[in-house]
This record gives sequence, C-alpha cells and structure tokens, in this order.
Amino acid sequence: MPHPQNADYSQRTYAAIEREGEVLIPTHCCFCGMQCGMNIRVDKDSNQVLGVEPRYDFPMNGGRLCPKGVAAYRQAIHPERLLRPLIRKNGQLVESAWDEAMDLIVSKIRDIQGKYGKDAFGIYSGSSMTNEKCYLVGKFARIGLGTKHIDYNGRYCMSSAAAGFNQTLGIDRGGTNPWSDIKFADVLLIAGSNTAECHPLSMPYVWGARDNGAKLIVVDPRQTKTALVADIHLNLKPGTDLALVNGLIHVLIKEDMINHEFVKNHTSGFEDLKAMAEKYPPEVAARITGLPKERIVEAARIFGQAKNGMVLFARGVEQHAKGSDSVSNYTNLCLITGKIGRKGSGVATFTGQGNGQGGREHGQKADQLPGYRKITDPEARKYIAGVWGVDESEIPGPGISAFELLKALGKEVKGLLLICSNPMVSAPSLGDVKQYLTSLEFFVCMDFFLSESAELADVVLPSTVWIEDNGTTTNVEGRVIRINGIDKTPGEARRDWEVLCELADRLGRGQFFRYNSPQEIFDELRVASRGGIADYFGITYEKIEKMDGVFWPCPSVEHEGTPRLFEDRKFNFPDGKARLLAFEHKGPNEDVDQEYPLLLTTGRVVYHYLSGNQTRRIDSLRDKCPDPYVEIHPETAKRYGIENGHYVKISSRRGYIVVPAKITKITRPDMVFVPYHWGKTLAINNLTNPALDPKSKIPEFKVCAVKIEPTKQQEVRHG
Amino acid sequence: MAKVLYIDFERCIGCRACMLGCEECSGHDHLSRMFVDELNPGETVATSPTPCMHCVQPACAESCPVQAIQVTEDGAVLSASHEKCIACKNCTYACPFGIPRVDEQRKIMYKCDLCYDRTSKGRPPMCVSVCPTDTIQFLDEAEAKAKLDKQVQFKWDFGGTVIETRTVIGIPDLQTHRYGYNEVTEDVL
Ligand code: SF4
Ligand code: SF4
Ligand code: SF4
Repeated sequence: MPHPQNADYSQRTYAAIEREGEVLIPTHCCFCGMQCGMNIRVDKDSNQVLGVEPRYDFPMNGGRLCPKGVAAYRQAIHPERLLRPLIRKNGQLVESAWDEAMDLIVSKIRDIQGKYGKDAFGIYSGSSMTNEKCYLVGKFARIGLGTKHIDYNGRYCMSSAAAGFNQTLGIDRGGTNPWSDIKFADVLLIAGSNTAECHPLSMPYVWGARDNGAKLIVVDPRQTKTALVADIHLNLKPGTDLALVNGLIHVLIKEDMINHEFVKNHTSGFEDLKAMAEKYPPEVAARITGLPKERIVEAARIFGQAKNGMVLFARGVEQHAKGSDSVSNYTNLCLITGKIGRKGSGVATFTGQGNGQGGREHGQKADQLPGYRKITDPEARKYIAGVWGVDESEIPGPGISAFELLKALGKEVKGLLLICSNPMVSAPSLGDVKQYLTSLEFFVCMDFFLSESAELADVVLPSTVWIEDNGTTTNVEGRVIRINGIDKTPGEARRDWEVLCELADRLGRGQFFRYNSPQEIFDELRVASRGGIADYFGITYEKIEKMDGVFWPCPSVEHEGTPRLFEDRKFNFPDGKARLLAFEHKGPNEDVDQEYPLLLTTGRVVYHYLSGNQTRRIDSLRDKCPDPYVEIHPETAKRYGIENGHYVKISSRRGYIVVPAKITKITRPDMVFVPYHWGKTLAINNLTNPALDPKSKIPEFKVCAVKIEPTKQQEVRHG
Repeated sequence: MAKVLYIDFERCIGCRACMLGCEECSGHDHLSRMFVDELNPGETVATSPTPCMHCVQPACAESCPVQAIQVTEDGAVLSASHEKCIACKNCTYACPFGIPRVDEQRKIMYKCDLCYDRTSKGRPPMCVSVCPTDTIQFLDEAEAKAKLDKQVQFKWDFGGTVIETRTVIGIPDLQTHRYGYNEVTEDVL
C-alpha cells in the first residue's frame, strides 16, 4: 500500500523481476532533480553491478526512466574510472599512493594558509552529491579549513529560482506542490523549460493534465518537443521574459481575471505591479518579445480563466542577468490569479542537478549555514556553532559566489579543492576560467572520471559514483529520498565523505568530523537544520523508507512532512503576505550589433547530463549524440550560405567554436542554439557571457551576441 | 485476453529510452530491437517508435525457410530460434515494416519478441516499462483498439495487400494539432 501522500502519482503495481544469484538495490537515478526510483541489479557474491531493473512502485516515476537513467549504472563499471590518486610529477598526472597524496594536500593547505591566511584556500563544490556530502563540505570549509571561500555550481543552475522565490514567497523550495498535483491543473504554463528532453519523467504528469482537458502554454524560443504539443507556443525572443509576463499581467488586469480576494488578503504590492503592467499593453509586449499580440492576449485569457493552474519554469528563465526577477514575475501570475496553495495550483522550477534542491539548503553557499540559515545572522551562527561544538567566532563570514570565486583564483585564493564539479565545461567564458585555474598555487580535485577540470589539477583523488555509497537527496518536489549503495568501490577509490574526514583529522580538526556512516552525518544535519527554513529534523532514514520519501519542512519526528506549501495561505514573511514585485524590462546584458548580429542560446539534449563528464563516456548515450551542433533557421542559413551538416564558426566577444549546422525550422531566424555538454574546443561556454544576476549571481548563459560564418575548418571530434 | 503494444505517436519525445531499455532485457544480448525515427527532420522534432508490429499473419515467419520464427499463443512473434536460424535475411525482406535485423557477427536474426521473458511473467515489456512518456503502453487488445480519445490504426494497406497487426497505433488529432506531421507554417515561428 502506498502512503496516502503518494496516491495520485503515476505508480504502477508490478513487482520487479528478480533473477537467480542477484540482489536488487532499490535506489534513485543520479541525474537530474526528478530522482527517479530504479533498482540496480547486483551480483550476490561479487557485489558487481550488472544492470538496471524498473522499480515500478516508486511514486515519482513508476518504473519509467529516461535514457540517462537506463544507462546510469554503466558508469559504475566503466573502464575510465579513476582507481588510484594522481599526482602531477614533471607536468604529468601519475598514479600514486593515498598517503603520499594526502600528505601533499595537507602540507599545501598548511603552507598556503600559513603564508596568506585561512581564506586563501577555497572549496568549489557541486550539487550532484548527497545531502550528507553537501552538508559535510560546508562544515569542512568553515571549521575544517576555517575558510570563508566556499561556493558551488548550483550558482549556475538554480540560484535564480532560489532568489526569486525568496523575494516573493519568503521560502525557496523549488516546487510548492507535489508533482502529482500537475495532473490536476486546468492550465499549465511552462516557461524556459524543454521539459520533454530535460525532465522527461515530468511528462506523464503533463499528459495526465492534458488527458483531463488541461491547456498547455509553452514559452520557449524554440519549438521543442514540449512546445510541439502545446495549445499555445510563445516563441519569444531570448531574454524578453519580463516584458512577456508584464504583457500577460496587463491583460489579466485589463480583462479583470484577477482574484481580488486573494490579492487583498494574501499579497502586498499589487498597486505597484499594476502601474508597471500598465506600461506593457499587448502591442508593447509583442514588439519587445517578437510575438503576435493576439497570441499574448489568448495566452493570458487561457491562463486567467482556468480555475486551477501551475506555472513551471527552468533555466531558460533563470540563467539571465535578470533571472531572479523573471522567476518572481512568473510567480506573480499565480499570485494575482490566486493559483497557489492547493491541488493543481502552484509554481515550481525544474531542478537541473540531481540534488540541486538539497545541495543549496545545507551550507554550501557562500552566504549560508545549514537549514538555509544566513551566515551573517548572529542567532543562526550561535545555533550552528552549538551544533558543531565550536566557538561562534570560529565560523567565518560570508564568502563570494561561484564565478566570483573562480575570478579570485590566483589572487585572493591560492589553493582550491574542487569536488563534484567541472567548471571547465560549465562556467561561462571558459578561456578566462582556464587562466584562473592554472594560476593557482595548488589545485586538488575529487572525481571518479578525469574531467576537463581534473586534467588541470595537481592532485586528483579517485572518488565513488552514487551507487557506491549511502545517503539522501532532495528531489524537485522537496521530497527527501534515500540513495542506497553497494558495499564496494573500484580499485583504491574512496568515498568523498571519508576522505574529507581524514583530511580534517590530518589538519588537526578530526574531533569535529567523527562519523562512521552517512546516517550519522544525516542525524547531525537534522539537528543543524532544526528550526531553519529547510527543516529536516523530523526526517529519518526509516521514515523515508516507509513513506517513499518525506517532504520538508518536517519539524518533528511525529510530523509527516509537507508535500504542499501555503495551504494555509501564509507566506514566509512577518505579515504572512506574498510580495508582488514589479519589474521593468531592460533586456539582456549584451545586445546584438552589426558585428555580432545573432543571439545565442544554449541548453541540453536528453542523452547528456550537465558537463557531460559522466554521460559522454557511456557508449549507448554518446552514440545517440556524440558531438555538439548548431541549430540555425533555414532563412538565416540561406543568408549566410550555410548548408545542413556544413561546418560553422560561431564567435562571440569571448571566443569561438566550430560545429556542424543543423538547419531546422524549430528555431527563430534571429538566434542560434547550441547544446552545452562538451568541453575544450567543443564547449559553447567559450562564448557565453559571464554577466551575473546581481541577486543570485547566476551568469547570463541563455543569451549573448554572436556571429556565424561557414568554414572549412573541422574541429568536431568525440568530446 | 492477450495484451498488445499500443503506441500513442503524439507523446513520443524521441529520447530512445525504449531502445536502451530493450537492450537491458535479458536474452536481448544488449541489442535493441526497437527503432525510433525522426518524422520530418528540419521541419519539426516529432519522432515515433517502431517496435515489431506483431502481425496477425506474420510475413517474416511465413517467409522463413526453416521455420525459425515462432508465434506464441498470445500472438507474440518471437525472435528466430538460435538453433534453426540460418541468417538468410528472408524475414528482413519479407517484413513490410523492416523489423527483423541480422547480427552479422553471430549470424543470427534478432527482432522484438515482446520481451517474452518479462511478459510471460506478467510484467510489461522493457520499452513499455521505461518509456518516460507512456508513448508505448501494454494494453488488452480490445482496450487498445477501442481507445476512445484517439483514432487508432491496426490495418495497413501495402499496395492492395492488407496487413493486420496486433500492435495498435494511436494517431494524433491533426485537426487541432499539427504535432509536426504537417508543414510548419511561418505562423509557428
Ligand atoms: S522511450 Fe518513449 S518517448 Fe522515448 S523515444 Fe521511446 S517511445 Fe519515444
Ligand atoms: S512487423 Fe515484421 S517482424 Fe513483426 S511480425 Fe510483422 S512481419 Fe514479422
Ligand atoms: S517489446 Fe521488448 S523486445 Fe520488443 S521493442 Fe519493446 S523492449 Fe524491445
């Protein structure tokens, strides 16, 4: 019997097939925030990973998996796994003993911190790790190393959603509703998300709503697989979301599709929003976005007239220098029409990284302590110091955000520990990033494959893939789930939490890092998060098992978690009211001009995950999409004399790449699109703009000015 | 009542999880028996999966000189038996849908067997299990043929020869949506 909270999901009732001599380990996919349930088939005697078997009873996906999920197990048995530590000797990374590597790291940390102060050694981490590891990395930075310099790659992913939700709702949980609620919407507005390719397992919920007659509005410059089945596709010019939403709000107000009761009792700021929207009649919104005005009006009517509706968005909205404000503006649509806090009504962002949600809750961010506590808040500092058993003064102050941290390398920060991230593919303006990383005095990296970034390190420590450890992650809904692992690691690879604890020990801080298992770390995390916004105190491993995941906030052991936020219509501000904030459209940081006349936008393909460090190595995924390409509209291609499959040089003010053309009508004539999962000469982030959103510090990945030209040069090779 | 594959074209996102899933079924030797096609490349991103259509009178089996292709009681047309198959490719040429393939190294035909090791145990085939969008479903034959919300097709006219298949296709509603089957007009762009 499923727990009642899971009754509306797309579960199926079959039992998994078990084969002789095998055990099934019920766990979750390591890719993307859906965190689909799956069974890993493991040989009973040797503990060898053999394959995957659907886990029909997990509510979120009911056994369904995207190609990445089906192939995920293959990385555990991949021949390119790092098996022993690597140390750079005479310019080459050579296999070495653990002791030598650890001695070297500790002496370098001591040396650098002795010479330049504690903050001279930084940590740059990731969000594809378990909550336990994310928590531990934050603690290790603050009281293992004593540095303020820690931040993580979630800055490239969801920080705008976090900042936007915080300023509007006062709390940042990526989804206000359980995913099964999507099925009960009468209208879905999906913006800046190619849901079908990037979060395929959301599609049963989208189709669930469609089967009940829901209308689908898709906002995306490209006619993606998601847009293909929409009732209305708003293929706006990249970077014009604020203007579009202002236009939609204008129509909603003009045609009185506002929930006045809700606006009056549960929000503040409506008059300012109204005054702003006044300036964006459909004609104006149409001119800025490049859409027909009728389509804006129609979309507003469909959204406004529906009883229940959800607004869902992703990086297409967030990765802009105005990303946080765009998130708030889309959220305004739900607030002014009263579509929040009940089944089928709410707002959510699709989490990109596996643990994008949990990863940003427990102290990896430069300005935060566990449970979303502000590192500058004296109360929060006092509480966490108590949990950690240190003096409050030992907790450093706030550091700087991920891209700012990269820029500080070689200057303020002389040594860096990189965990579970690959900035040499994922950061913007990569030419600069390489310079930053190579100007370090000491660079140590933990990874299980030799990523583009690890290749530059002085020491590389071999770590484990998700299936080789235990822990929890927090999915797109805010559901905390259990990752179960096998009791085996390849070669001499070691789990990163064990390595961090040993490093702390060697640095003389071992007394704060005595854990025998991830569960012990989790139990400390529960206490550390207690009373914070992301309160995990009532969540235990047993309860997660029993309920197929527990939604935070869960403040007490008796509490069953909170699948749906704001059912009481109390928003997380002292007055309990959500804030309607008004924003002027200013356009992207970089505009087109004569030299760079086209807009570039980037995104994912279904076969690859983030920097591709994992998925590019798995044959069955790589075969399906081995190299990047550039999507060009036929009209544009004609103008530049480019034919399908021909090589094209795309350049921005920061760099260039050469990739083959894919001529297609799914894109706009004034833009081109390139997927971002490749490194080195195939990395589109050689071109992207590092302009940061002032609130979230997310770079403006989604729009910059470029030029294209046909070329004979062929640089494409399997990246 | 036998269960059949039902395929709702409109839902396919071209992710090819069905192909990867098919490879994971024991007995499939990591060779996919599923095909996914782009319907109108350059115009749209519409795709559709093609498994074996499990014909009522399978031309593949009928053309096989050594009767290597068995049809189960439920109507599943199996892969050629290892003992009998002589890799002559008659089945490949006979099949109007181009389904059977020959593994050139091992000299053996392989095709969709409706994941017989799974379906015989009451589990859905792998492609059905993993397909993230429910494009491929495993339904009672009568239920699939009577899909109320969709026009369905299970009879195919090949130049006068009508082939009936157990696999049922759900046709998109072209009146209300293009789904990429018609020319994309400038209006969409
Ligand atoms: S798994 Fe489903 S959605 Fe993906 S290609 Fe196959 S049929 Fe299409
Ligand atoms: S579709 Fe082809 S392979 Fe399948 S049963 Fe019919 S003839 Fe045989
Ligand atoms: S039914 Fe089984 S054998 Fe046939 S295509 Fe689907 S997964 Fe492959």
